[in-house]
Amino acid sequence: MRAVANWFTPKIALARIAWLRTILYLFVILDMHAFVRDTRLKGESPGLYQPLYLARLFELPKPTVAITTTLYYVLIVACLVAATNRFPRIAGWVVAPAFTWWVLIGMSDGKVDHDHLALVIALWVLPTVAQSRKGSPWADQTRSEAAGWAIRCVQICVIATYFLSAIAKLRSAGWALTWPGSAILTWAIVRRPHPVGEWLLHHPWMLHVMQWIGIIGEFLSPVVLWLKGRWQLLGALFFIGFHVANTAILLIHFLPTVVCWLAFAPMERIVPWFRSRRSADSADSARSAGDAGDAREAEDQTEDGRQAKEQAGA
Amino acid sequence: MAGVADSDVRLGRVGKGVRLAVALVGIGLLVNGSVRASDDVWPFGPMSQYAQTVPDDASITYTRISAQTDAGTTVDVPLNIEGAGVARAEIEARTGEIVANPSLLQTVADGWAKKHPDKPKYVKLELIRDTTQLVEGRVDGPPKAEVLATWQVRR
Repeated sequence: MRAVANWFTPKIALARIAWLRTILYLFVILDMHAFVRDTRLKGESPGLYQPLYLARLFELPKPTVAITTTLYYVLIVACLVAATNRFPRIAGWVVAPAFTWWVLIGMSDGKVDHDHLALVIALWVLPTVAQSRKGSPWADQTRSEAAGWAIRCVQICVIATYFLSAIAKLRSAGWALTWPGSAILTWAIVRRPHPVGEWLLHHPWMLHVMQWIGIIGEFLSPVVLWLKGRWQLLGALFFIGFHVANTAILLIHFLPTVVCWLAFAPMERIVPWFRSRRSADSADSARSAGDAGDAREAEDQTEDGRQAKEQAGA
Repeated sequence: MAGVADSDVRLGRVGKGVRLAVALVGIGLLVNGSVRASDDVWPFGPMSQYAQTVPDDASITYTRISAQTDAGTTVDVPLNIEGAGVARAEIEARTGEIVANPSLLQTVADGWAKKHPDKPKYVKLELIRDTTQLVEGRVDGPPKAEVLATWQVRR
């Protein structure tokens, strides 16, 4: 039991949380304009509004211009604040419910997208992590179990997006493995025609190969959670390649999930790496100038870098 | 590196227990969604986009809206946010309702008029289904069109 609990709460440097905050909160602003961008429109003409379960459970009011406009400005301000890592918890606790509501409205018209799971869950877990009060949050090498839990939750949701897609493919066939040999990609291309796809329509066997690679990758995706270092990077690159192929064939990008792959990236190493490079440079010049003080500092920085490296596998 | 270990921030028993419980409940909700629920329980619903098995002899349907304008032209309504303010997927998801109640198409005409005040207005809308036939997994000929609903736009 303790091993299970520890797996869910690995010790990860707070710097990774700081980087995730900056990137994800800025991504939310992008998302509101590029992906789930019809929420304000739905405030104007709620004709096709069909509230989802969560909206009914919490008795959220039918969207109006006042509601969606307020949500828009509250989200922009709170995201900008949280992205700076100032008051990240207060701002984060504003963003989480506000963005969830924003997406709920955006998807309350009969069509639900499946690319927002990891991002929405990330927004709910990030505010649970307290900052330590020393120095720049993006450089903070303090390892924290609370940070590890938040990171782990995002990682699990990223992987669940793939693994559960494979489950959905079995379920829709009455729990049978018929999807990879079916004409699903042909169907998708006919409905969203474009040059690459139309060329592939003449070679159905290639589409079947892609379907097999896709579903096998989805089934094996949980393995990535236990891979380390270079192998984990390879796993991540496989799935990012998967999205590149999907974008080319189906025009479906899944960027809100792709950005959450960063939860696997040892971003806490960015600042130490940058510093050690800079101090290596200055150490070089110090050596020529015969200044021992700078070289000593460079040594300290290398130490920082080593600490960061040790936890990067987490 | 004892110094590093000392500075690690650990969770207390309660903090760790609560987090473990939340994570397990979350995973439970995801599994429940994938095994028995529908899109309605977003974000815990099944990942069902493109999950269906399409047989080799399937009829592939594609729904669009065709409009007659007050300039006397017939155009396909751009079904996206910038066009008429409604996405095609939304129209496809609500096709049954629109067939039963074609007045829902008024939203499309209003959306277009509002976003493009200087372009010709829609006077009549037709919900059309294009059907492409597959034979042994390959596309067999051009699609056939069928009008599902017609709506005379109100001013």
